[in-house]
Amino acid sequence: MISSIETKVFELICYMVTSACNLLNENRLYGSFRLLDTASRLITLLEEEGVRSKRLGEIRERIVAGQYSVMEDEKIFADFLQDLVLALIPLMEDGTV
Amino acid sequence: MDLLKAIMERRSVRSFKADPIPEDMLQRLVEAGIWAPSGGNAQTWCFIIVTDSGSIRRLKMLSPGLLGNPPAVIVICQNVAEAERKGAKLGKEVLMLMDSAMAAQNIMLAAYAEGLGTCIVRSFHPGGIQKLLRLPEYIEPQILISIGVTASVSKPPKRNFDIVSFQEYRGND
Repeated sequence: MISSIETKVFELICYMVTSACNLLNENRLYGSFRLLDTASRLITLLEEEGVRSKRLGEIRERIVAGQYSVMEDEKIFADFLQDLVLALIPLMEDGTV
Repeated sequence: MDLLKAIMERRSVRSFKADPIPEDMLQRLVEAGIWAPSGGNAQTWCFIIVTDSGSIRRLKMLSPGLLGNPPAVIVICQNVAEAERKGAKLGKEVLMLMDSAMAAQNIMLAAYAEGLGTCIVRSFHPGGIQKLLRLPEYIEPQILISIGVTASVSKPPKRNFDIVSFQEYRGND
């Protein structure tokens, strides 16, 4: 029997592989977007499997709040990505890493 | 519903509630689609309504642009062989794409009038979707439209009427 987590990981991998293929012919910003979306999906997958943490939840919340600016304004999206990376630093001190 | 109001208020929705969409409502949307203009009146399109949750999950695996969890997806396809037979090179390379887009806009506006949210999607793997839906080689998926009750929506990007509309073209440089 295939486990629930294997099915979810398979779905995520299909999404990532198809993205890798399609991105060859898509807007270059969509590469950043798909990576963010993958991170968000991964956090959700882990949460559904009982792996929860405040910092992972916070990262997903930030991603969801800002990821669609890719469709609106390139500069806003770029600024959002910069802020997101900087926001990871204090979160590094909250865990074992 | 006032048409101009629908045009201006429709948004691309990427977050849906789980509520199922009645079959007759989905059929009305396809009916709206087939009343779109079609180059040379070719009407070489066909529409596949997908509501089975397992099928939608599989569509999503091959469609990075299909975001959120819509309870329904309409796949707009074109019969490429017929498009070429009826419209020659122009039909196959240009008109059938335009026809699909016009049908999609009709579907999305009709959905909005029904109180539903939609998103037009082209970021998918056409060959993969073709295989998944067991379509013959000459039926190509062109556009996916995700459909559902809107859970949340982003603010609309700006429109700049004054810099794209001219009496005589003068550019924007």
